[in-house]
Amino acid sequence: MAVTLSFSPSTMKQYEWLLTRYPTRRAALLPTLRLAESEFGEIGVPEMRYVADLMEIPPAFVFGVVTFYTHYRRAGTGKYHIQVCSTLSCALRGSEDVVTRITERLGIVPGETTDCGLFSLSKVECLGSCDTAPMLQMNDDYHEDLSIDDVDQLIEQLRESAKGGSN
Amino acid sequence: MPDIKTPTTRWTLNGQEVENTSGMTILEAASEHGVEIPCFCYHPGLSIAGNCRICMVESNRSPKPVISCSERIADGLEIETESEVAVDARNSVMEFQLINHPLDCPVCDKSGECVLQDHSYSHGPDRSRFIEDKNIRHTKELGPTISIWGNRCIVCTRCTRFCDEISGTSELCIVERGDRSVVDVFPGIPIDNQLAGNTVDICPVGALISHDFKFEARVWNMERKDSICGGCSRGCNIEVETLDGFVKRLMPRENQDVNDWWMCDEGRYGWRHLYSDDRVLEARGPSGPLDSSRSITAFIEILDNSPRVAFLIDPFLTCEELHLVHALAASSSDSLVGGWLPEQGAAAEFPAGFKISADKHPNRNGAEQVFGHQVFGEDASHLQRALDDGSIETIVAFCGGPDPDGPGQEWSAALVKASTRILFSVLEGNWLDGAALVFPATAPLEKEGTWVSEDDRLQRTRSCWKPGETPFPGELVLLQSLQSALGTRSRSLSAAGIFRELSEVCAPFAGHNHSDIGSSGLLLSDRPAGVGAGGGA
Ligand code: SF4
Ligand code: SF4
Ligand code: FES
Ligand code: FES
Repeated sequence: MAVTLSFSPSTMKQYEWLLTRYPTRRAALLPTLRLAESEFGEIGVPEMRYVADLMEIPPAFVFGVVTFYTHYRRAGTGKYHIQVCSTLSCALRGSEDVVTRITERLGIVPGETTDCGLFSLSKVECLGSCDTAPMLQMNDDYHEDLSIDDVDQLIEQLRESAKGGSN
Repeated sequence: MPDIKTPTTRWTLNGQEVENTSGMTILEAASEHGVEIPCFCYHPGLSIAGNCRICMVESNRSPKPVISCSERIADGLEIETESEVAVDARNSVMEFQLINHPLDCPVCDKSGECVLQDHSYSHGPDRSRFIEDKNIRHTKELGPTISIWGNRCIVCTRCTRFCDEISGTSELCIVERGDRSVVDVFPGIPIDNQLAGNTVDICPVGALISHDFKFEARVWNMERKDSICGGCSRGCNIEVETLDGFVKRLMPRENQDVNDWWMCDEGRYGWRHLYSDDRVLEARGPSGPLDSSRSITAFIEILDNSPRVAFLIDPFLTCEELHLVHALAASSSDSLVGGWLPEQGAAAEFPAGFKISADKHPNRNGAEQVFGHQVFGEDASHLQRALDDGSIETIVAFCGGPDPDGPGQEWSAALVKASTRILFSVLEGNWLDGAALVFPATAPLEKEGTWVSEDDRLQRTRSCWKPGETPFPGELVLLQSLQSALGTRSRSLSAAGIFRELSEVCAPFAGHNHSDIGSSGLLLSDRPAGVGAGGGA
């Protein structure tokens, strides 16, 4: 049975406030998706549908926006989402080596999640931190000026904290 | 010449001073002077997206090339479309477009009418500098009639804009980003709007593929004829494409007064019955098939021996065919004529103004002009009453529609009350049982002649048959042969000739002729000067 999604009253209040901040309803889509993400934990098909119906915009439009950005936590993403910037500055400074290293260590290629559901790997567009290339974003944190050792260390750390049940 | 009141702009195109209506884009204005600038994302029927960049030209007002599909002309503007800067910009865009394009033209249905192929030929490099792996994007069904071959998509957004602006259904979107972006639908919401097929037409490449036409024909082998859709009373202008005399595809033909650039799916895909196994393809009597001359003799015999003949016409017949029926009815004394109408369908109107009519037939209006406005009303009831009280022994009935039920149950039941029935039908069906004579009827796409749309627009439709290779004599030929045999016609004429006769005796058509109708039709009321509504009658 599909559970009918719905914003909690407090989230709904925030949504209504958001609408007052934008010239058109459609313009408020990005922050509304953020609300949905924190309310529902991830953005999948039911969540997109809910937002589309709520905002009275075509579901396909929401789908296009959600998939354009790499910033939303899409359904099925692992606990640790590693997003390696692959745009120009990072590419020139070795982002491909970073990706290869992660693939070697985790056994997944970009777009995949480990069987244990812990790690997801993505290649993403410029994250606005070109001066510290190459860089990646792990969940909400930036890891910059990466060396291969940094990558190894990060993965170890994450494995540890997963074991410890924290983070 | 531009209208005196329309403000104009003087600008320079490739070194020549030119003038255009103010406010035009460079691309549109240049085209008026015979300079065609390549484009992918631009479509005259859609909003301007400016995303493909192939239309870049050199401007004296900008340090960088500008996109001519969105940039407007201005006094003093100097534009070069063939300078080194312009050509270089175009070639670079072409190279960029081809980076991930599979160039699988040999198996692509769009090949031969593909904008990318054309521009690649004229502006593209003859070899690729790209040695990396090409991106793979999804190939999948987007709806019951359309699939996306993602690798070919150049992300011009014509199809998504169509669904947003013209059909208003917004099923399509671009998912993902950069070189991974491709057209898709929201999971579980397929594209299945009534105008969906148009997205395939306007896709500049072979990314959107119509299931109906997939692998059916190479477009350069097909023959094309300007025609009219007979699916409803809108009378959308279409092109009928045939291969070896068989219809393969219908495409809308631009007519700003009727259908813009579009047609509906019901009309587009509604031709399969032409090749149904149930087609009536030869004339027959109670004892079997009749060749053309024997069928006519039999027809005449029946007419000669009938004190009173009635005719039941349909709204698929052309004005020319109706004129012949009219003449035939007039030549026998005390005849009756009524018409039957197929059941009404649903009308629809779309945000950009495209309309579908509830009248699922092309020529009710024309029939009313030829026979008078009561032909489907009071005349029809009168005919039905006459059949009911047994005062009609012989009836000639027409059914050019795709329905095996012929004129429908009510009329079929009424027809049986006439002991001698001569029936014209496209498809076999129970209503033909017990007929004295059965003749094959032409379906709308097989007719040569004119129809009058619900907007009073007189339009020419052309037969998909190859001249000289007709599977059976259509009504236009057969009815004239009958007249000749009866001695009321001295020579047989083409549809244009019959139309001339019609225009001489029937006031609404006075002053018109086939060649004036042209490819885009005309309003019945748009008469040449000096011809009044009563003229010619
Ligand atoms: S599918 Fe065709 S029309 Fe749609 S965006 Fe791609 S290339 Fe353009
Ligand atoms: S709207 Fe009517 S005339 Fe136009 S394509 Fe559809 S059925 Fe044919
Ligand atoms: S290119 Fe990597 S952060 Fe900008
Ligand atoms: S046609 Fe001008 S940008 Fe595409």
